[in-house]
Amino acid sequence: MRAVLAIASRELSACFRTSIGWVVLALYMLLSGLWFGLQTLQPGEPASMRALLDFSQWLLLMVAPAISMRLFAEEIRTGTLAPLMSTPVSDWAIVLGKYFGGVAFLFVMLSTTLIHVGVLEIVSAPDYGPLLAGYTGLLLLGGFYLAVGTFFSSLTKNQVVAFLATLFFFLILFFASGPGAQQLGAPYDKVLFTLSIQLRQADFAKGVIDTRHVVFFVSWSALFIAASVAATESRRWR
Amino acid sequence: MIHLEKVDRSFGRVRAVQDVSFSVPRGAVTGVLGPNGAGKTTIIRMITGLLPTTRGRILVNGTEVAPEQRHLRRKIGYLPESNPLPVEMSVSGYLRYRAKLFGMGHAAGRRAVDAAIDRCQIADVRRRRIEYLSKGYRQRVGLAAALLHNPPLLILDEPTSGLDPAQVAETRSVISELAGEHTTLIVSHILPEVERTCDRLLIFAGGELRADGTRDQLLTGSGHNRHIMEYRTREGSTADPLANIPGANRYAAQSIDNGWTRATVDFDDDVRDGGARLGALLATHGLTIRELRAERLTLESLYISLVEHKDGQA
Repeated sequence: MRAVLAIASRELSACFRTSIGWVVLALYMLLSGLWFGLQTLQPGEPASMRALLDFSQWLLLMVAPAISMRLFAEEIRTGTLAPLMSTPVSDWAIVLGKYFGGVAFLFVMLSTTLIHVGVLEIVSAPDYGPLLAGYTGLLLLGGFYLAVGTFFSSLTKNQVVAFLATLFFFLILFFASGPGAQQLGAPYDKVLFTLSIQLRQADFAKGVIDTRHVVFFVSWSALFIAASVAATESRRWR
Repeated sequence: MIHLEKVDRSFGRVRAVQDVSFSVPRGAVTGVLGPNGAGKTTIIRMITGLLPTTRGRILVNGTEVAPEQRHLRRKIGYLPESNPLPVEMSVSGYLRYRAKLFGMGHAAGRRAVDAAIDRCQIADVRRRRIEYLSKGYRQRVGLAAALLHNPPLLILDEPTSGLDPAQVAETRSVISELAGEHTTLIVSHILPEVERTCDRLLIFAGGELRADGTRDQLLTGSGHNRHIMEYRTREGSTADPLANIPGANRYAAQSIDNGWTRATVDFDDDVRDGGARLGALLATHGLTIRELRAERLTLESLYISLVEHKDGQA
C-alpha cells in the first residue's frame, strides 16, 4: 500500500512538474468555464450543473487519454521503468500506483469546477442530489477512461500512439453502442446498448445512482487494470 | 553470491547468451567485458530478474532468480545502462521515492537518503532537479539510488559511459570506495576502467564466456610467451644459431640491415627464463646482441584476440 501511495503521489506531482499537466488543467478550466458561462449562467436557465457535466464527459474523452498516455509510455521510452521494476514492488502496485496517480489528477481537475457550484450557490439554490450523482458519474467515467488509457500506455513507448489508441477505442465504443446499435437493430442492439456509456451517464445526470452503472464502470476499469498488469508482467518474460 | 549454471537466452532465433556458467564470490569486484552485442546486458538483466533465462538457472545468495522472488530485489542494487532517471524530480525527492519503494519508513528512508548522498558526494546538488545536473552528477545520483537500500550485490552497467575523462575519474573513485563493502559486478567495454577497478574479469563475445580469471591469470594462461631479439651473425657463418633453442616451440628470423637479424621466439607456457636461454645460446655462438626483450601481452591484445578468435572462425 505504501508503494502504491508513493507511486501515485509521484505520478500526481509529475503531472504538475511537466507542462502537459498544466496545459490539460488550463484547457479544461477554460473550456468548462466558457461552457458554464454560456449554457448555465443565463437568465431562465435552471440552477443545475447538468449542462457542464454533460459537456465534461466529452471533454474527458480528450483529456483522460492525455493524462494516461504518459503513465507507462514515458517510462518505457526513457528507460526509467527498468529501475522501477528492479525494486521489490509488485507489478500490481506499479499499475495501481500509476492509475491512482492519474485518478488523483482527474480529481484535482474536476474539483476546479466546484467554483461554478459556488457561483450557482450565490445566484440561486442548486439541488445537490443530481449534482452529487453527476460528479460520481463523471469520476467513474474518468476512472474508466484512465484504466483503458493506462492499458494502452503499458503497451507502447510512444505517447501519441497511447493517446490515439485510447481515443479511438472510445470513439468505436460510442459508435457501436449508439448509431451502430440502431443500424443493426434487434437482436444485436440490446447487447450493444448495454455497453453504452451515454445512457448510463444520462442516469447519473438525472440524479440517479444506479448500482448497475457503478458496477459497469468499476468492473470494466478493473478489467483494464488487470490487463495493464499482465502487459507489465509480460515485460519480465520478453 | 552469484552463480550461473549453463544459462541460455534466445530472442526469437537469435541466441544472445549461450551456455554461460560462472560464479562470483561474496565481496569480489568483477568486471564483465565484451564488445557491443556480446550479451553482457542480457546477462545482467537476467541476474536482476528483469529477464528470464531460456535455459539454465541463476542463483543469487543461494536463491534461484525468478520474477516472483521479489525479496531478492532487495539484495541487488542496479544501475542500468545509460542511467535512466526521472529528470523532473529533485535529487533528494527521487531518492526518498526510491526509499519508499524499498519499504523504508520515513525516518529510515531519511537516514538511507542522507547516507547515500554522503557516499556518492552529491550533497551540494541534493535539492536540484535532475535535468539540470551534469552527466557526472547524474551518474552519481544513479549510483546513490542503487546503493540506497545497502544491497550486498551491486550491478553497474556501463557506469562511465558517455562521461568526459574528469567525470570518469570522479565516478571511478566513488566505485573504488564502494569496493570491498559490496559484491560488485561492473559491465563495460572500456578496458582501462575494468582493469583498474576490478580484481576479476569475465570476457564475453558472441553471447559466450570466452575468459574468466584475474588479470594475471588471463595474461599468463594465454599461451603468449614470446621474446624478440636482434643480433648480428659472423661473416661467412651459415649455421642457424636458433635451430635448437631449448623450450621454444616456434621461431622466425628475418634479415634487417647490415648483417643484423630480427627474430621472434615463442616459448612453451612453462618456460620462465626464455631471455636467459636465448642470451646463453647466442653467446655460445659468439653473436653480437643489440636487443633482447620479452614481449608483454597487454589485456587489450588478449581481449582483441579472444573477441576476434571465434568471430573470425564463424
